[in-house]
Amino acid sequence: MVPFCARSSRVLILGLLSVGGILPLGARPAAAQETPYFVTYSHHLEEPGNLEIEFNPVFGTQRAGNNYLAGTTEFEYGVKAWWTSEFYLDGQSTFGDNTAFTGFRWENRFRPLMREHWINPVVYLEYENVNEADKAMIEVVGSDNESDYAPPNSVLRQAHNYELEAKLILSSDFKGWNISENFITEKNLGHDPYEFGYAVGASRPLALAASARPCNLCLENFIAGAEVYGGLGTTWDLTTAGTSHYGAAILGWQLPNGATFRISPGFGLNENAHRFILRWGVSYEIPGIARRLGRLFR
Amino acid sequence: MRSWLKLIPPLLVMTSIAAAAHSAKTWKRDSRGVLVAIAQAPASARERKNPYEGHPDALLAGAKLYRRHCAECHGLGGWGAERAANLHASDVQTASPGELEWFLRNGNVARGMPSWSGLPEQRRWQIVAYLKTLR
Repeated sequence: MVPFCARSSRVLILGLLSVGGILPLGARPAAAQETPYFVTYSHHLEEPGNLEIEFNPVFGTQRAGNNYLAGTTEFEYGVKAWWTSEFYLDGQSTFGDNTAFTGFRWENRFRPLMREHWINPVVYLEYENVNEADKAMIEVVGSDNESDYAPPNSVLRQAHNYELEAKLILSSDFKGWNISENFITEKNLGHDPYEFGYAVGASRPLALAASARPCNLCLENFIAGAEVYGGLGTTWDLTTAGTSHYGAAILGWQLPNGATFRISPGFGLNENAHRFILRWGVSYEIPGIARRLGRLFR
Repeated sequence: MRSWLKLIPPLLVMTSIAAAAHSAKTWKRDSRGVLVAIAQAPASARERKNPYEGHPDALLAGAKLYRRHCAECHGLGGWGAERAANLHASDVQTASPGELEWFLRNGNVARGMPSWSGLPEQRRWQIVAYLKTLR
């Protein structure tokens, strides 16, 4: 029988290879109007018909345990101009321990208002099927804290979570700035109470106007920002006591060919949080994916 | 049964009719011949001038942005496709620069044209400057 860690590594490797296999399909460059956040969502949805493939690793330090490298591979598709659907595969590797596939998520974002307003709401609904070994930390809710990640993977993997998550995303664009606020609630479909969390982000391109010539290393292609996120307790204990909070700077680099690179050093803002978290990500946007795939089978 | 509950079915019907009428209206043109989806811009937006009008660099930047963000649907030449308008057509070109910038910012989300509010306003004006050269 193939050991679990070997199987998991194989799944991760296959996932990465399939991403690499799809990339050449994008013949014409496409660049989404991306905000660079890793945790916070804005009201900018995926353009309809486009598929964005993202790989977002995260390195985290761990007191009373081993540091880890986790990550998500994300497939984000613009179903309609007002509806984006995204599928996530999660995995992690803990130093001195093993590598594990930790589950999947499927989320949908809906934009109820068809026009731009000062504040633009988006409704986010997600189903998660992940185990406790998941360390991707794409949101912080309830009393999530650093000590949750300390036990070995063999112990963490025993507990499986089937969860529904909802977010109210409020987002505004003003003079080149994007300011987004997310209010999060998560419910384990088992016995746990509703958990709450928040994420707030602000970002701005380093140059607002585009230059006349095509360029890669010009300011207009860079976007900088910051985000703050954390837990807000549960319905049983609605408090910030025992919760963890993070602050992170973000820098994104959007290339004209559709690729985007992002990096974000983050720091725990209280004793319950990991001291340091480094996130980075690479994504590639494939325009009109359904049409392109259809051509292959004609 | 509470009396106000009786209002829900007619309200739902009226909302559906209004939504259908609204979606049908977006394909019409106003008295100037401009697509209604664009002509819905408020007067304040319609009268705005393009700060990049007549700037040759802005045209080049606008062309670059057009290729990057718009060409996938509207085609490299802007002649439109099955789901995107022909940008050379008079129902687009008759619109004022302010209307076009407003339309780029808001999109026609229900009809598939995304909002481009994530692009800074300066870049939307640069795209408008380029669109006006397709006349």
